[in-house]
Amino acid sequence: MDLAVYDLRLHKGRFIATIIGVGLLFTIVLAMNGLYRGNIYEGLAVIQATAPDLWVVERFRGGPFNEQSTMPEYYYYSVKAVPGVEQAGPFIYYTVERQIGERSRHFSIVGYDVFGGLGGPRKIYAGRGIQQAHYEMVAHPKLQLGLGDKVPLGLHTYTVVGLTKEAVDANGDPLVYLSLPDAQEVLFQKDNEEIRNQRTRLARGLAHQSSDTHIINAILVMLKPGANGAEVARHIEDWLYFSTYTTRQEGQLMLKGRLASMTKQLLLFRILLMTVSVVIISLVIYTFTMEKIRSIAVMKLIGASNKVIVRLVMEQSLLLTISAFLTALVLINLTYRFFPRTILLIPSDEVVTFIVVFLGGILASILGLWHAWKIQPAMALGGQ
Amino acid sequence: MEVLRIEGLGKNFGAGRLEVRALEDIHLSVAAGDLVALLGPSGSGKTTMLLCASLILEPTRGKIVFDGQTIFQKNGWAGGIDIRRIRREKMGFIFQAHNLIPFLTARQNVLFPLDLVGQKGDAARKRVMELLDYMEIADRADYLPALLSGGEQQRVAIARALANNPKLILADEPTASLDTPRGKKVMTLLKKIAKENRSAVIVVTHDVRMIEGFDYVYHLKDGRLDQNH
Repeated sequence: MDLAVYDLRLHKGRFIATIIGVGLLFTIVLAMNGLYRGNIYEGLAVIQATAPDLWVVERFRGGPFNEQSTMPEYYYYSVKAVPGVEQAGPFIYYTVERQIGERSRHFSIVGYDVFGGLGGPRKIYAGRGIQQAHYEMVAHPKLQLGLGDKVPLGLHTYTVVGLTKEAVDANGDPLVYLSLPDAQEVLFQKDNEEIRNQRTRLARGLAHQSSDTHIINAILVMLKPGANGAEVARHIEDWLYFSTYTTRQEGQLMLKGRLASMTKQLLLFRILLMTVSVVIISLVIYTFTMEKIRSIAVMKLIGASNKVIVRLVMEQSLLLTISAFLTALVLINLTYRFFPRTILLIPSDEVVTFIVVFLGGILASILGLWHAWKIQPAMALGGQ
Repeated sequence: MEVLRIEGLGKNFGAGRLEVRALEDIHLSVAAGDLVALLGPSGSGKTTMLLCASLILEPTRGKIVFDGQTIFQKNGWAGGIDIRRIRREKMGFIFQAHNLIPFLTARQNVLFPLDLVGQKGDAARKRVMELLDYMEIADRADYLPALLSGGEQQRVAIARALANNPKLILADEPTASLDTPRGKKVMTLLKKIAKENRSAVIVVTHDVRMIEGFDYVYHLKDGRLDQNH
C-alpha cells in the first residue's frame, strides 16, 4: 500500500503548490548552471571561433581579450617572416555602443585582414563574408540586422553582407566583423569638435602631431605544416619582443582572469541555491511529517515496521524533489532563450544537478525521519 | 485457552525521590473469548496498564505471557521476539479518538493491517468488505474518515482492529467520544466479537454504564488491581 501517494492525493493542492515553488527554485539553479556555462562559453567564444595556432600580443600582456594589448600594425610583417609561420594577420577587437536603428546597442567590433583570411568569421549562415576593403560588415543576429541593411558607424555607412552567430563577446554582446582599416577608422574616428581642438592645440604648439591609427591588438599566426609551435613562439618572443599564446593558453588566460570571479560567483550562487532548496524541502517534509504524528503513532502501535514509516517519509520527499526537478527542467527548457545572456544547458550538468537534488531529497527527509523515529506509539492512546 | 497472563507486574516512572509507582503487583489472566473491563479514575494507571499489555511500555518488574510465549520477565523483554510483529499479527487496537489514518478511505484503513502482514490481492479485499459489512458500514467503504460520523469512524476502527483476526483486542476508552446510544452499540459489537471471533477483549473505560454483560470487571486504583466479579 503506497501511503505516501494516498497522503499526497489528499493534499494534492498543497503538494502541487510546493512542487511549483521548489520547482521554480530548481529552475533558478538550472538557470545558474546555464549562466555559469554560458559565461564560460561567451568568454571563450571569440577565441575559439578565431582559433589561430598562435596569438601574438604586446610583451607581458595577457591580451587581447583578458587584458589590453596594443602594437603597431606593421609588426605583422615581421611575424609573417618568422620561420615556421605560414600566415599572419593583424587583429583588432574593441567594444562600442552605437545607435543601430532606434536603439542604442552595445557590441564588439572585430577588425581583420579580409584578404589574409585570419580572424574573420568562419561560419556564415546567411549572405557572404567581407569581400571589399571598405564599408561591408558581417553581423550577429542579436543586432536584428538583415542582409543589405545599412548601418552608420562614424562618418561612413556599412552594408550588412553576411550574418554569423558563432561568437559573441565576453559580455554576451553581439560581434560585428569589419575590415581592419574600417575597424581602425571606427575606433579612432574623431568628431569635428575634437579635430578643431587638435588643430588649435597644434597651431599654438601645445601638442605634437600624433595621429597614427595603424594600431592593432594582436597578430594571428597559422603555422606551416610540421612547424614546431613552441619554437616559433620562442623565436617571436626572443627576437620580436612580443608575448605569444596558443589558443588553449588564450582560453586559460580568460578563465583564470576575466571570467574567474564571475565563474566563482555563479558557483557560489549554485551552492547557495541548492542548500536553500534542500533546507526548504526539509522543512516541507518536516511539516508533512509533523501533521502525521498521530497517524505514524497509530501505525507503530498496530505494528507497522520502521520500513513502512521510512518509506512513507522518504517517498514523499523524493516525489516532491523529483517532481520539482522535472518541473524545473521543463520550465528552463521553455524559457532559456529569453534570457539576455547565454544560458547554455548541458545534459551532463542536468544529470549532476539531478543527482545532487536526489541526494538533497534524501538528506531533506532525514529531519522528517528523525522526527518520525522519535514518535512513540503510546501517543495513539493519548500519551502516557 | 489463555491468551494473556500478567504476573506481579509493576511499572515505575522516574527515580529516587521523584519515583512514581504507576502499577504495583498486577495479576491478570485473560482467555480467548473473555470480555474484560478495566475501570478506574484518571491517573489510576489504566493507560499504563494498557501500554504494558500491548507490549509498548516495558514494565519494571513482573512477567507477561502472551499466546503461550513469555514476552517479558524480570530481566526485560525476552530475546529473539519481534514485539511489533506480535502486535501486527496477533493484536487489534481500538482507540478513544478512533485514530483512523486520515488520508486512507475506510476500506484502505481496514486493509492497512492486512497489508502489514503481507495479505494482499482479492482475498484481502474480500476480507475487508466482509468486515465492513459485519460492521454495517460497507456502503461507506470509499469515504475518507473526515466524511464519516464519529460512530461510523469507530465502526471502521473496530473493523480495522479485527482485520488480522487478533487473539487480543485492546480498546482504550472506545466509547468516550460517542453519545450513550452509540457507545452502547459499540460495546454490544465488542461483546459480539469476543463471543463470535473468540478474541480476548480488554476494554479500558471510566464509564460504568458501558460494562454491562462483561465477563470480568477490574478496578484500578492507585496502580493496584481489584477484581469485582
